[in-house]
Amino acid sequence: MGSEGAFSAQKRSSGALPTANAAVNGGARGRAASLLPRGRQMHKTFNNIKITILCGFVTILVLRGTIGLGNLVSYEADAENLHLTEETDRILEEIRSDKDPSDPDEGPQHYLSLNDTFSLGPRISTWDEDRKVWLEKNPQFPSYVKGKPRILMVTGSQPAPCDNAIGDHYLLKALKNKIDYCRIHGIEILYNMAHLDKEMAGFWAKLPLLRRLMLSHPEVEWIWWMDSDALFTDMVFDLPLPKYKDSNMVIHGFPDLLFNQKSWIALNTGSFLFRNCQWSLDLLDAWAPMGPKGPMREEAGKILTAYLKGRPAFEADDQSALIYLLLSQKQWMSKVFVENSFYLHGFWEGVVDRYEEMIEKYHPGLGDERWPLVTHFVGCKPCGSYGDYAVERCLKGMERAFNFADNQVLNLYGFRHRGLVSPNLKRIRNETVAPLVNVDQFDIRHAAAHHTTEPRS
Amino acid sequence: MIGRLLGPRRARQLQRFVRNGKLTILCLLLTVIMFRGYLGAGRFGTPEKDLDDIRVTLSYIRKRPEPRRVLEEAQGELKSAENAGAGSNNYADFDIRKILRDEDDGVEEFKRDPSQPYSLGSEISNWDEQRAKWLQSNPKFPNFIRENKPRVLLVTGSSPKPCENPVGDHYLLKSIKNKIDYCRLHGIEIFYNMALLDVEMSGFWAKLPLIRKLLLSHPEVEFLWWMDSDAMFTDMAFELPWERYKDVNFVLHGWDEMIYDQKNWIGLNTGSFLLRNCQWSLDILDMWAPMGPKGKVREEAGKVLTRELKERPVFEADDQSAMVYILATQKEKWASKVYLENAYYLHGYWGILVDKYEDMIESYHPGYGDHRWPLVTHFVGCKPCGKFGDYPVERCLKQMDRAFNFGDNQILRMYGFTHDSLGSRSVRRIRNETSTPLAVRDELGLLHPAFKAVKV
Repeated sequence: MGSEGAFSAQKRSSGALPTANAAVNGGARGRAASLLPRGRQMHKTFNNIKITILCGFVTILVLRGTIGLGNLVSYEADAENLHLTEETDRILEEIRSDKDPSDPDEGPQHYLSLNDTFSLGPRISTWDEDRKVWLEKNPQFPSYVKGKPRILMVTGSQPAPCDNAIGDHYLLKALKNKIDYCRIHGIEILYNMAHLDKEMAGFWAKLPLLRRLMLSHPEVEWIWWMDSDALFTDMVFDLPLPKYKDSNMVIHGFPDLLFNQKSWIALNTGSFLFRNCQWSLDLLDAWAPMGPKGPMREEAGKILTAYLKGRPAFEADDQSALIYLLLSQKQWMSKVFVENSFYLHGFWEGVVDRYEEMIEKYHPGLGDERWPLVTHFVGCKPCGSYGDYAVERCLKGMERAFNFADNQVLNLYGFRHRGLVSPNLKRIRNETVAPLVNVDQFDIRHAAAHHTTEPRS
Repeated sequence: MIGRLLGPRRARQLQRFVRNGKLTILCLLLTVIMFRGYLGAGRFGTPEKDLDDIRVTLSYIRKRPEPRRVLEEAQGELKSAENAGAGSNNYADFDIRKILRDEDDGVEEFKRDPSQPYSLGSEISNWDEQRAKWLQSNPKFPNFIRENKPRVLLVTGSSPKPCENPVGDHYLLKSIKNKIDYCRLHGIEIFYNMALLDVEMSGFWAKLPLIRKLLLSHPEVEFLWWMDSDAMFTDMAFELPWERYKDVNFVLHGWDEMIYDQKNWIGLNTGSFLLRNCQWSLDILDMWAPMGPKGKVREEAGKVLTRELKERPVFEADDQSAMVYILATQKEKWASKVYLENAYYLHGYWGILVDKYEDMIESYHPGYGDHRWPLVTHFVGCKPCGKFGDYPVERCLKQMDRAFNFGDNQILRMYGFTHDSLGSRSVRRIRNETSTPLAVRDELGLLHPAFKAVKV
């Protein structure tokens, strides 16, 4: 900056020189100017111009040496930013794209035609006996632990990042929510992020996965499938498993909607239980044929739209296919328990606005419309770009449901969220020198074990 | 005027002198400036350097938010800026901060007395007795699942707010899935924390109040295993050698010489460690905490640590340096119950491991846990959730993908699948479906491993 000042000073003075010259000379010789020969005048002008050019040249040299041509300050920074932007864009695009740079080029997608048959795997017909034999040979992996049947919760999401960062964030929160419920209730979790069968992609991906898990884990008695957009909102409620001793599938729905109205939302496959047995393998085999991507799924979609009430026109989905299957093949219903005494699946729209009311009037452990076990954000699709509902409503609802459930977990530790839309906590119980008193009172597992009075929310 | 004083001839001479003088001074000035610009002027520096300094300062101020803005903008080409309001179904432009806010729900809050010096909680001195009594009255919640197999709670966590980096949450998701897989195989429970229990103990210090709270609330837990969110399991078959730790209370990865002799700030790593649920642990947590509270305390402590520890850069106090300092200066008090493990990678620095995965696959097999097949690959310094890491973004994220797939392959193999390559998200079948699935055994025996067996 000092040099600039010098320049301007120099410029000013160099500008001043000729005029000073002129003033000095002109003044003194002004009267004599007309007396000077033209040659002398030109000579003088030349001198002045020479000096001006020289000074100008020197100025440019010095300026170039220090500040440089053009606007170097923002030029460099701009170039850096541009480079950073480009690099980050490229990395993000690569990560987001489904096509891996390391994958060999796949040929054109080969879809099964309508004449082909699809099967999930070689037919197995003796699974019940095989499993029984295995369990007898492996007593260290029993199917009942401490009197309770072993349950495996299965959920998952796509292997690639969501279309938007917020989608991954809510997948993470939903997973934490499931981890909490499962830890409290002694359930194991499996989070799937792989497409096991390219043909059964999308909502059908659960079928090959369920089959594979059942066959690999004979010690598992029940498999509980849960969608990634479903959140537990009652951390205390335990499934009434003795109720299902004669059933092999437990699914939330309404018999009236199912049998009388043949509605496509009569049952919900976002949260259901499947016993590990031959019947279930058979059901999966009967369920699968509408699934394979391509003409099979498209054609099946048309059948389902025609048959089921209220179903829009789109390719076959697993839920509609199951309803169709249960209605058209009567042999399955005897082992299917259509549960609606509690919210094994709870559609979010009717639930998320009532959390404050629930906190005021009721308490956890009910599992039904008073304190839903599950709040299921059907249609929100936060992992994609567009949902069926307004984004703000969906995300606010998910945040509220998450915090509503998290409060029940944090209760043991003496904390609570500052409101249902806040990530921040407040302390609701002081630290004490006898923490075990609180543990006995507030730990959900101990409260259940000791059959104490219903825990407060 | 001068002319009148000195006489016309003298005046003219003087004027000429002045004129020449001006020229001379001007040229001299120019020369000096030019020389200064090109050759420098010793300790005064050059104008170029001045300008450089100014440029750097300006761009530093501009650069700070720049990458974040870059990363945020990289998301949405469609900028329906103000239309992402209540009616929009498009997730691309929605800012979650519109929703998040604190509200008062009427439940009474208990605040820590700010005039008191910071403490993690009321001082407890008989925790061992309290806990022993509780375990006796609760036989359904034993602290040992089997002989030599303690009940372990793995604790990890991340921020409740979305990551600054648009793909950060995706990597957090993969990381927790990886931990879920390991823990399911090894019969370990998980606690994923997304809450800041104590505003003063923010950042890396947030684990201290959390750990204490969990120890006191879960007396049935024998060992608490803290693991950073940027650490991944890469050996699914390795079971921790629990008998080795039966007489110690604190297991960290590190080297005795580097702590007790050299006081090196990276002589141990607090990204993955085991802490027994006992009075000793509560005591060491109380000794650890004082350097943590945000603000002046942490700054000052940082200076002390930089001074006392070898090769520590200048920054605020972090929990790892603080632990090094405690162990090095109070060796007699704590060292007997601290085990610095380096026979396997309880923490494995990613820089030296990630390029060798293919070699490991070729030469070794899971179960070693050490340099041949690391138990944990810890992406120290990558900070995928934040704006800035210490390493290039591309290397970090690509390598995290590889480490994830390296671990995931061991899980998928149980079911007859594997990733197409370590960099690929897609999987392919390596074992056909059969009609006698129970006759098939997975090579690693991870479907029904001994360490998951229930006491018969």
